Amino acid sequence: MILLAAIAGGLLLGLCWARWCGQPYQPPELKYLWFVFAGFLPQFVAFYLPGTRQSISEHWLVFLLPLSQVLLLLFAWLNRKLPGMLTLFIGTALNLTVIAANGGFMPISPQTASHLVSQETLAKFQLGDRFGTKDILLLPQHTRFEWLADRFLPPAWSTYQVAFSFGDVLIALGVFWLMARQKALNTQGKTV
Amino acid sequence: MFKKGVPMNNRFNLVVMSLSRVNRQHIQLFFVLLTLTMLVLGAGAPDDGGGNSLK
Repeated sequence: MILLAAIAGGLLLGLCWARWCGQPYQPPELKYLWFVFAGFLPQFVAFYLPGTRQSISEHWLVFLLPLSQVLLLLFAWLNRKLPGMLTLFIGTALNLTVIAANGGFMPISPQTASHLVSQETLAKFQLGDRFGTKDILLLPQHTRFEWLADRFLPPAWSTYQVAFSFGDVLIALGVFWLMARQKALNTQGKTV
Repeated sequence: MFKKGVPMNNRFNLVVMSLSRVNRQHIQLFFVLLTLTMLVLGAGAPDDGGGNSLK
């Protein structure tokens, strides 16, 4: 949700920016789109599609998530000249690093998880169990690259609680700038 | 809306051209939004406890 909000916020700022400059909004010119479709498809089937997400075994999932992220990383690298894309690339690389180093899932500590679900719900989980969509419950001392794990939370007063990683922050910043950045157009309507 | 003296064919061409331009831009924006949505959902890993964030 926070990452989709970054896209929406970037689009909104980009529209205002374009209006301020008196020119039409210019979406980023992305290339090699098929990398994203190919990269996201395994995750869509494994994590989001209700009919299939329960039927895929964890043995496959531990390979699917890193493999999928490698394709997405490749896409970000091929488009690295676009504004914000290099930040997004670094964020994806950091998430891939911590996921690959911890058995194919994003680690989250029981303490952080206790902010997301009730104590009764959390008590049903054991260390090493999958938690949420892509996470795995691990103690910080048993987590490799713990500083890259899902360890950040919004302020306590927020009604929407979500755990996110440093990589997620970079991805959000990158995609926000990618959608917001507007190039100046000359009188012929071409970028200066 | 239309200037006097502009032949009907030219007017039609202008309308078609501006419509196709608008559609092309909208389609491009749609694909950019779809691609970036898939990209951030795939690359990011925030967790709200399986959609049950409110305790």
